[in-house]
Amino acid sequence: MEIFRITRNAWGQETLEGISWDLLPVAFGLGIAFIVGHLVWRALRRRRGSGKGGQSPSSL
Amino acid sequence: MSSRGPATATARRDGDSPLITRHAPIDRVFHWITALAVLLLLASAFLPIVGFKFSWVPLHWITGLVLTAAVVFHLVRASFFQRLRCIWIRVRDFGDASAGRRAAKYTLAQKLMHAAMGTAVLVVTVTGVIMLAKVDTPLWKRDPYLLETSTWGVVYVLHGAAALLILMLTMTHIYFSLLPEKRAYLRAMIGGQMTRTEAAQFHDPNRWSGERKDDPRENHK
Repeated sequence: MEIFRITRNAWGQETLEGISWDLLPVAFGLGIAFIVGHLVWRALRRRRGSGKGGQSPSSL
Repeated sequence: MSSRGPATATARRDGDSPLITRHAPIDRVFHWITALAVLLLLASAFLPIVGFKFSWVPLHWITGLVLTAAVVFHLVRASFFQRLRCIWIRVRDFGDASAGRRAAKYTLAQKLMHAAMGTAVLVVTVTGVIMLAKVDTPLWKRDPYLLETSTWGVVYVLHGAAALLILMLTMTHIYFSLLPEKRAYLRAMIGGQMTRTEAAQFHDPNRWSGERKDDPRENHK
C-alpha cells in the first residue's frame, strides 16, 4: 500500500502528487473500527455496571 | 438506552428541571453551516475517488469558501467574544476525568474532539485556500506557478491527510451525537438548551451553570 502519490515528470524526476487514495478505505475502516470498539467497550461497562447495581456518570 | 433516560424524560415533562442554555443561536448556526460544508466537501472530494463521477470541482471550491468564512468567523468570535479557555485542554482535565469528577462546560472528550477537528479543519482550510490558485473561477484566474512543484506536493499531502482525519473524526462525532446518553448534547446543538438534570450528569453545576454571569471565572481561565 502506498502512502503518497508520486509521478515522474517529462525529465524523469519524481514529483509528489499528494496522499495516496489507498488510504481512503483505511481511514474509513479505522473510523468504523473505533465505533465498533467503543460500542463493545460501552456494552461491557454497562454489563459490569449493572452487575454492581448501578453506574456512575463517568462510566457512560 | 441509558438507565437515566426515563428519569430525565420525566424531569423534563414535569418541568421540575429548568432548561439552561448551552449554545447561543449564533454558535448553533455556525456549527450547522460548518457541518453541512464539511459533509459536502467530504462528499465532493471522496465520492469521485470511489467511482461516483461528477463535476466536483465547482462544488468543492465554493463550499470551501463557505467553510473558510465560517472558520474565520469562529476564530474571531472564540478569541474575542467568548471564553476561549472554556475549551482549552488543561492537565487538570485529565485528573478530573480519571477521578470521575464532572467537568465544567466541556468534558475532556469534547475538548479533545474539538482540538483534533479544529486542527484538521485549520490545516485543510489553509491548504485549500492556497490550492484555490490552481482553479479558474469567475472571481480569479488560475496561477499554477504560484509555488514550486515540490511545495505544491507538500500542500496536497497536508490537504489530503487532514481530509482523511476529518473523515474519521466526522464519523465518530456523528456516532457520539446519536448515542442515547449523549442525546441531550444533540438536542442542545439543535435547540440550544438542555435541562439542569441532563447537564448535571456530566457537568458540575458549580463550574458550569448555563448562566455565564453565574459561572466562577476561575473555571474558565
